[in-house]
Amino acid sequence: MGIGGRLKSWIGDQRVEQLRDRLAELAEQSTEHHLRLAVTGLSQSGKTVFITSLVHHLLHAHRSGSLPFFDVAAGGRIIGSRDLSAQSSNPFPLQQALTGLGQEPPHWPASTRQLSEVRLAIRYRRPPGLRRVLGESATLYLDIIDYPGEWLLDLPMLELGFEQWCENQRRLFEREPRLSVASSWLARVREVDWHASADPALLQELSESFAKLLQVLRSDPYALSLLQPGRCLLPGELVQLFPLVLPTWPAGEIPDGSFLALLKARYERYREQVVRPFYLQHFSRFDRQLVLVDCLKTLNRGEACFTDMQRALNGILQSFNYGRNGFLRRLFKPRIDRVLFASTKADHVTANQHHNLDRFLELMIQDAQRDMGFEGIETRCMAIASLRSTQAAEAQVDGQTLSCLRGWRKDSDEEVALFPGEVPTELPSADDWTQERFRFIDFAPRRLPQHELQPSHHIRLDQLLEYMTGDQFR
Amino acid sequence: MSEPDKFRKPVWLDPKQLDTSRPVMPPESQAREFPLQQVREALDDGETADADHAPARKRRGGWRRLFGISLGAVLVSGVGIELYRLLDWSFTTHPLLGGGVSLMLLLLALSGGVQLWRSVKGLRQLSQIERIEADARALLQHQGQGGAGALLRELQRHYRDTPEQQRLDETIRLLDSAYNDSEIVRYLSHHALSDQDARARRCVQRYAVESGVLVALSPWASFDMLLVGWRNLRMLREVASIYGVAPGASVQWVLLKRVLHNLAFAGFSEMAIDAGSAALGSSLTATLSARAGQGLGAGLFTARTGLQAQRLCRPLPLEQVDQSLIKSVAKGIVERLGQSKPAE
Ligand SMILES: Nc1nc2c(ncn2[C@@H]2O[C@H](COP(=O)(O)OP(=O)(O)OP(=O)(O)O)[C@@H](O)[C@H]2O)c(=O)[nH]1
Ligand SMILES: [Mg+2]
Repeated sequence: MGIGGRLKSWIGDQRVEQLRDRLAELAEQSTEHHLRLAVTGLSQSGKTVFITSLVHHLLHAHRSGSLPFFDVAAGGRIIGSRDLSAQSSNPFPLQQALTGLGQEPPHWPASTRQLSEVRLAIRYRRPPGLRRVLGESATLYLDIIDYPGEWLLDLPMLELGFEQWCENQRRLFEREPRLSVASSWLARVREVDWHASADPALLQELSESFAKLLQVLRSDPYALSLLQPGRCLLPGELVQLFPLVLPTWPAGEIPDGSFLALLKARYERYREQVVRPFYLQHFSRFDRQLVLVDCLKTLNRGEACFTDMQRALNGILQSFNYGRNGFLRRLFKPRIDRVLFASTKADHVTANQHHNLDRFLELMIQDAQRDMGFEGIETRCMAIASLRSTQAAEAQVDGQTLSCLRGWRKDSDEEVALFPGEVPTELPSADDWTQERFRFIDFAPRRLPQHELQPSHHIRLDQLLEYMTGDQFR
Repeated sequence: MSEPDKFRKPVWLDPKQLDTSRPVMPPESQAREFPLQQVREALDDGETADADHAPARKRRGGWRRLFGISLGAVLVSGVGIELYRLLDWSFTTHPLLGGGVSLMLLLLALSGGVQLWRSVKGLRQLSQIERIEADARALLQHQGQGGAGALLRELQRHYRDTPEQQRLDETIRLLDSAYNDSEIVRYLSHHALSDQDARARRCVQRYAVESGVLVALSPWASFDMLLVGWRNLRMLREVASIYGVAPGASVQWVLLKRVLHNLAFAGFSEMAIDAGSAALGSSLTATLSARAGQGLGAGLFTARTGLQAQRLCRPLPLEQVDQSLIKSVAKGIVERLGQSKPAE
């Protein structure tokens, strides 16, 4: 006679049944768990497309079979998923994005202007094993936020005072291409007497011209990333703030009401009232982090673009809460224990280049990766495409078979076939960054159906999910 | 242009100018557009994979070989002469008796031939599996693309004309053009073989529980070894046939040899299971009689043999050792014994 039988004979059948139900209920409640996934990426790195595609695939995971490397889904253990975003005050515009991608011709979602939240409840059956005792099924709540990539750029400002920030910017503006693009603005700033009492008109003029300057630096052919304050880059945001890029910091006391005092006060206000709340509310409590990097952009644009993006990413990643491993900290404040670096838009290169793309991404984030490794955090690099827009093809050139891509251009919407070049695994030397070497063009999306999703609609989204969340479903 | 050969340049392919597109620059370093008609869908398996490499047969020592051949010759001629005499005798005794004897001999030859053919086929399949698995292991370490074609063809050949063929073909059809070689192997291992894995697991569990219960309940302690051996041989046969290996006496024999060898030289992962099952065994056996404890031991041994056999018969490497099988076998035995006790 087992324990169950003995128990029953002691306290009566019904009681035991009740007890068992109650225990199962308790276990269920205690095993509902939450996972906050940080999707980090500079602007246009593919955050919104990624979130849209991820949520779409997850919502259909119980029957579509589009995620063969995601164990719960492939093993048929997902009972169903539900989108709970509507509970939030600013839900992620999933339907809007999906409609855009599902219509004919499909189009990419617009650049994000607002913070928005996704919450997904995924109900799954536990695998056979010991934890089945806790109940047949469980629920995982997956939280993700989407935001304009520009906001991210301000995070490093949290640790800097105005003077330090200006000093950092001064060092940046000593290098090309900033030096020549900004020459007239720099000359203008150096003329002003910063101890004199403030002239609002002049401040207005300077911040407007600075905002314009940032826009120029951000657009082609420079395509720089490390542009602060990030909100200056967004249309419609009035941030009257600019760094004092002076050869030396103006000496002496800061008189009240002077230019200097005013700028400093504005900087502090921006940091405390705009950047910090964003950070505290949304960024200080993640469990897992995904860093999306658009490596191909830097290959197209050259070394300055590469180093600038590298600097921007490393600065931003400093702001996250990795493995500071105190017991109390862990109890009260979740920390990131796993990070995935993903080079997005892997469908812009042929599949045999994906491995090289991983290596190239490692070059870009090696410092951050080393620091994380030191803290004992698992990291990995992966080439992904949230929405595959090209088809693999082969062409006969000079009797040789060459793998190439076939798709529709993003700008002109004409069909093209091309071999876009090889991704280097080492940083190319200065004269190797030529237009002849890399031609990673942007593609228009292929239609993403509302149902009947297939593995060919993405690249490695399933492996990404398995790496980021797989252990939660065991 | 004095481009170094380090990299291959991008190539534009103009969809409309298929016929006129002429290579302007050396092919391995140029950007190029291709006419759309000139490109075709990329195949999932790379055709460039290396050719099959048959494993070199081990050469036995010359003397040993000579001994084997001469022994065989003596035996064959001895048996042949005896048979001839038997036929001769029976025909001279009575034509009917002669007919009967030759019919019997014919049947014997026929069934023997079939057996022999099966054994040879099974052995060939086993070595084929070994080769496929080695290839798959190599590919798992490989990050590149285009090396999996040979593996896919071998797998298809192995499963040709079996019930699993359809499943395999379907899985191969679904392979994505973006997968690299190790992803292809993992995908196949997950999706093409999952059915067979589940069946093999059920089979191993059934035999393990059965032999455990048999040993625990058999009144004659000296038959234990025979019982366990018998169940194990049956299990090996079944596992082999699940993975598409024609079961025959020689396959059984070879498998048994290898399984025992592997169990004797178990690696670390096996050690871990052993430790686990030992701990589990001791906690359970504390509540069981000595006889039931022996049964449990026999059951666990059978389960481990079964896992080894599964590993040997599976054409692709098993990713992780199935720890839960051992546990469920132990639970199954204890439960069955619990049920059957009152009946005793
Ligand atoms: N081919 C391809 N292009 C992609 C993919 N993901 C993103 N893109 C391209 O990248 C562009 C930007 O993607 P978004 O997701 O809007 O980028 P974001 O990070 O949300 O940008 P912000 O909202 O401005 O911060 C898209 O318009 C596409 O052109 C992908 O998986 N495949
Ligand atoms: Mg966006």
